[in-house]
Amino acid sequence: MNGPTRRLAVALLAGFALLLLNVTYVQAIAGPRYRDDPRNERTALTRIGKERGMIVSADGTVLAESVASSDDPQRFLRRYPEGEVFAHAVGYTSLRFGDDAVEDAYADDLRSRRDLTISDLLAALLGRDLRPRSVQLTIDADLQRTAFEALNGQAGAVVALRPDTGEVLALVSAPSFDPNGFVGPDAVTERERLLEDARQPLLDRATGESYSPGSTFKVVVAAAAIEEAVAGPESRFPDPLELTLPGSTAVIRNFDRGPCGSGDTVTLREAFRKSCNTIFGQLAMDLGAELLSTQANRFGFNQEIPFQWNPLTSFFPAAGSFENDLPGLAQSGIGERDVQATPFQMALVASAVANQGIMMRPFLVKRVADADGEVLRETEAEIYDRAVAPATAELLAGMMEQVVTNGTGGRAAVSGVRVAGKTGTAQADQGAPDVWFIGFAPVDDPTIAVAVVIEDGGAVGESATGGSVAAPVAQRVLAQWLQSRP
Amino acid sequence: MTRNSEAALLVAASGLAAFGVILVNLAGGGGVDAQVALTFLVFLIGFGGFHLAIRQWAPTASPHLLPLAAVITALGFVEVYRLDPDRSALQRWWLLIGGTLAVALMFALRRGGLSVLRRYRYVFLLSAVVLVLLPLLPVSGPVPLRGLVQNGSRLWVRLSLGVTTLQFQPGELTKLLLVVFLASYLAERQPALTGMTRKLGPFRIPEPRQLVPVFLAWAVSFAVLVYQRDLGASLLLFAVFIAMLYAATGRSAYLTTGGLLFGAGAVLAWSTFSHVQRRVSAWLSPFADYDDTGYQIAQSIFAMGTGSLSGSGLGLGRPFLIPNAETDFVFAALGEELGLAGTVAVLAAYALLVAVAFGISLRGKDLFRKLLAGGLAFVLGLQTFLIIGGVVRLLPLTGITLPFMSYGGSSLVSNFLLLALLARVSHEERA
Repeated sequence: MNGPTRRLAVALLAGFALLLLNVTYVQAIAGPRYRDDPRNERTALTRIGKERGMIVSADGTVLAESVASSDDPQRFLRRYPEGEVFAHAVGYTSLRFGDDAVEDAYADDLRSRRDLTISDLLAALLGRDLRPRSVQLTIDADLQRTAFEALNGQAGAVVALRPDTGEVLALVSAPSFDPNGFVGPDAVTERERLLEDARQPLLDRATGESYSPGSTFKVVVAAAAIEEAVAGPESRFPDPLELTLPGSTAVIRNFDRGPCGSGDTVTLREAFRKSCNTIFGQLAMDLGAELLSTQANRFGFNQEIPFQWNPLTSFFPAAGSFENDLPGLAQSGIGERDVQATPFQMALVASAVANQGIMMRPFLVKRVADADGEVLRETEAEIYDRAVAPATAELLAGMMEQVVTNGTGGRAAVSGVRVAGKTGTAQADQGAPDVWFIGFAPVDDPTIAVAVVIEDGGAVGESATGGSVAAPVAQRVLAQWLQSRP
Repeated sequence: MTRNSEAALLVAASGLAAFGVILVNLAGGGGVDAQVALTFLVFLIGFGGFHLAIRQWAPTASPHLLPLAAVITALGFVEVYRLDPDRSALQRWWLLIGGTLAVALMFALRRGGLSVLRRYRYVFLLSAVVLVLLPLLPVSGPVPLRGLVQNGSRLWVRLSLGVTTLQFQPGELTKLLLVVFLASYLAERQPALTGMTRKLGPFRIPEPRQLVPVFLAWAVSFAVLVYQRDLGASLLLFAVFIAMLYAATGRSAYLTTGGLLFGAGAVLAWSTFSHVQRRVSAWLSPFADYDDTGYQIAQSIFAMGTGSLSGSGLGLGRPFLIPNAETDFVFAALGEELGLAGTVAVLAAYALLVAVAFGISLRGKDLFRKLLAGGLAFVLGLQTFLIIGGVVRLLPLTGITLPFMSYGGSSLVSNFLLLALLARVSHEERA
């Protein structure tokens, strides 16, 4: 008689057991994941008005701080004293729009844990420090300011690295925005305005945007040739007026539409110094897709390079895609076609050549310290990849030095210092070219590698070249860095 | 357990409610205020009065029912107070009204006992049918009694009384009336229903005409789904019907037929009605359409996930981010502020209450009372399972109230009456 009722009871109580399991999963097992979901405003809401840790530059300049509100000392407001100069490196923290850059990547260190929740009270009982931690960047404030001023309002980016450690010395994107505008009552209208701005001030051009690398990519082609012993600096190439591409009506011409040198043949060194497209188009085809794409990958193309956030991955087509496309290979050899690189990527190329072929893992945060100044974590320099052999790097450095002393990059020269570099002028289908300069100094013991890109020819427009527009910006950055250090 | 320990536990539950109000006040910068005293008093009067009525008219009733219900009500009340103090003031009135009606029911049944109910079973059936149909009254018109569309569902009735209007969800009472009717009807027909079978090859199946009421119940439930867009009530009514048929006859053919019909109805509803499709897709992937259909479930999951093991503490979380937190989603709100500790405690209390109710049924001798207690236990347990299952994303959301915890008069009053019936059954079986 009781059987059916008993079975109904058992079924229902089994249902309750399922509920128990489910709620345990949602709250205990998956709980932290749901808590940290960016769409979950709860964590962010607890942070309103809470103190947040400082962000300072390598030299101690305050880049972000929490200031107690004048009417309520318990409430804090975020301030960015350096404003737009550091906006893309430091980022911002906003309840409405989320966090960005270092403010996002180190949110867990920067936040105060004093929010009166039971778990934080438990942490306090266990003797944990609930105060916000501070973060010190590797950026040199003066260098950053110089780079920002050197761009002078032109859309573009400057990335400077320390070749032997991977420290980011400057990370500038222009046009920029004032992160202080994201704090306070007008934040929404300010953000709308920035989003609608055709110049895209919110875009991080240093790590989040890629361009055709143009002739700066010849460093990669030359590296592959020397590394694989296909050609050396003194190897001679025929010097045609234009390079006819096999199986195609297209041709590759040099920038001045003339031959590269004055004789029938020309050395690789001279072709590199004068940035001759005909020679490098031919060299790319001589190398073949396999060797070229392998070398590009070793420099960081197609790799997710570890950083404080995920930089855009630079692109070089897979070897297989050139199977029936020698013209494409030749054009890729001069950094055109589908080749895409971020300024961050090209700075890594320069730094690898500067550091005997060894690419260090780039980093932006030097250390995290607790509220008493005690260092909790310190970033160690570590090798990311070996791009070329030391001997290859030395030959490349020599070729790059001549670009500055006697070639297209003359305007990057700093008096009294040996500077190496390579210019790039990436032709667009229409409109003005994106212009580049990558380089490092001093050549005998490099302490800085730099990449500069300026969109659409900058202030000069259609007639702009890497040598005329980007090299002077790099010159100011290099000079500032080298002169501030005895 | 004695009546005195029941009284002591009820005082403790009232204290729990008052203490919860203090904690919420402290979190908001306040302290002990009139709300605390009022809450304590209302709980004491509501449950204390009920307790005294049991002492007087059902002295041998199970002493486990009220304390369990009281502790659940207290936790729910605190969360409603935290979310919306104005509504919690109304909820206190509903608690008093529910207590009063429970006392009145105990009083009415004091002499004749539950068998009085059997005499009026067709009145109950008729009222159940009328109540089911009530929300379908015109939304506007000359009659002071009108239907009301809320959140796309038609499960409310609005009664205009001069200056004030009273809103209620007749569906909450329908389930009680249906259980009483079915218990009484099935107790009478049980031998006949059990006996009638027909052989079909190796299978014994019920007489085809016996299945007619099953199809009828299915049709009514489906109509509720279609016209009132009330998934919860529809499923609850049908499930109770099938479960009680099964409990009375022991014929699993009813379960099979019911299950098949439910499956067919579910598929039909899903393929025909966009509101059902939305519920299902919000259940399967709430984060895919986060900004629209998935928002409520996603917020519920975020709330409970953020609450984690120990919760944020009363008044310190942000449960108001969940739409309808104080009604359908009160369990998630509690999960955010009291954590897994709180949700497990609440689930355990419900499981105990349901188990006690089933125990009353299992220990009974009289078929009517057994079926009545079993039906009430089932309806209470299933409703709890359905809504919590929806909130924690075990099931699609059905949109029914959580007994004793959700804000809402119809629900609280109906569940007080449900308790009174259970208390009466257990008294009569032990007396």
